[in-house]
Amino acid sequence: MSLERRMFTRELKLIAARPGDILKPIWFLMLVISMVPLALAPDSDLLSEIGSAMIWVATLLALLLNAEHLFQSDFSDGVLEQWLFLDRPLVWLVGLKLITHWLFHVLPLILITPIAGIILSVPTDVLLALLVTLVIATPALTCFSGLGAALTLGSSRSGILGVLVMMPLFVPVVILAAGVLIRAMDGSDTLPLLALLGAFSVVAATFVPIVVSAAIRLNIGGSN
Amino acid sequence: MIFEPIDIEISDLSCERDDRSLFKNLSMTLNSGQILRVAGPNGAGKTTLLRTIAGLFDIQTGTIRMNQSPLTECLQQILYIGHKPQVTKDLTVLDNLKFLTGSDEDHLKRVLSDVGLKGYHDSLVKELSQGQGRRCALARLWCVEAPIWILDEPYTALDVEMVKTLDARITSHATAGGICLFTTHQPPQSLNYTTLELGHVT
Repeated sequence: MSLERRMFTRELKLIAARPGDILKPIWFLMLVISMVPLALAPDSDLLSEIGSAMIWVATLLALLLNAEHLFQSDFSDGVLEQWLFLDRPLVWLVGLKLITHWLFHVLPLILITPIAGIILSVPTDVLLALLVTLVIATPALTCFSGLGAALTLGSSRSGILGVLVMMPLFVPVVILAAGVLIRAMDGSDTLPLLALLGAFSVVAATFVPIVVSAAIRLNIGGSN
Repeated sequence: MIFEPIDIEISDLSCERDDRSLFKNLSMTLNSGQILRVAGPNGAGKTTLLRTIAGLFDIQTGTIRMNQSPLTECLQQILYIGHKPQVTKDLTVLDNLKFLTGSDEDHLKRVLSDVGLKGYHDSLVKELSQGQGRRCALARLWCVEAPIWILDEPYTALDVEMVKTLDARITSHATAGGICLFTTHQPPQSLNYTTLELGHVT
């Protein structure tokens, strides 16, 4: 079996062994979304106006919640340092790991956002725009949260630190996504902003694995 | 199988950590068939030396070459087993080894009965005892065909029987032309090795 297939199977088996890693962010997302109508006046006009933005922010936070699992347990078990001895470049392995993370941890979150949309009575066309922005923007967000996770591997409370380090990189993505949602609400053309978001993801997916593998190497060099 | 002749040439290797010199101007050559025990008191730099040779730590001063080429180009020639468990607790013994070695299931099952983990294929590593977990990590020595073995405290938590099995495996690896570096505080009885004492540098 090729190394790539081995990585995919391993990831699937890890998910089967720790289903909480996937379920916790989903649960968090649904919890936030179901609290919003309770906290606001049950005014469905207001809800549908802010609903898509709420879902976007909640998804972003849920995504950060599961990013800490990205490298941490493999690092403390010493499995991550074994990656250096595999006959593939570290950058390639990091890229694969980020892809599997997106597929198995981020995609399920995106797939349940329509349910969240129904709860907040988001109009169908805006919901569609929301889904498209999430699909296009999450590769960049996954890369950035991976970078945060890799940079803070050595520190004991890495979770929140990684988020803080990476927050500035999330800001432009959120602003662009909000722009798309506002345009979708007034029915104007969203394509230019979506293209910009896409460009962000492409650039992130190209360069972030290089930085992540350097960060991993650095942290392995500083540990026993 | 017999390995191609291989040598590791270490010259003028020095390492400082937190302003303390761990080893200074260390030079040696390791050849095919050599078994080297790195000895020394706690904190003498044994792990640091092994991790430097394994390419996990950057070299501060000096050079390490394998068959005349720089270390970073030869990492696939190395099998490193360190202090950490080197296996994932939430996966089964078989799944761990499948990922790390790429060997097929039948071969892995034979190996597992060799290291005394017969019947534990589908146990999660977290359900095993510490010694059994160590056996699982060491099972890789029977699967991966790397000529250079770097083993940090491989004997920890092993019972007498497994220590003998491991000694025999290291000996057969050296006979096949491999190189083995290891650390331990309990000198193995049935192994023919040379010793490098660390900790005499101030």
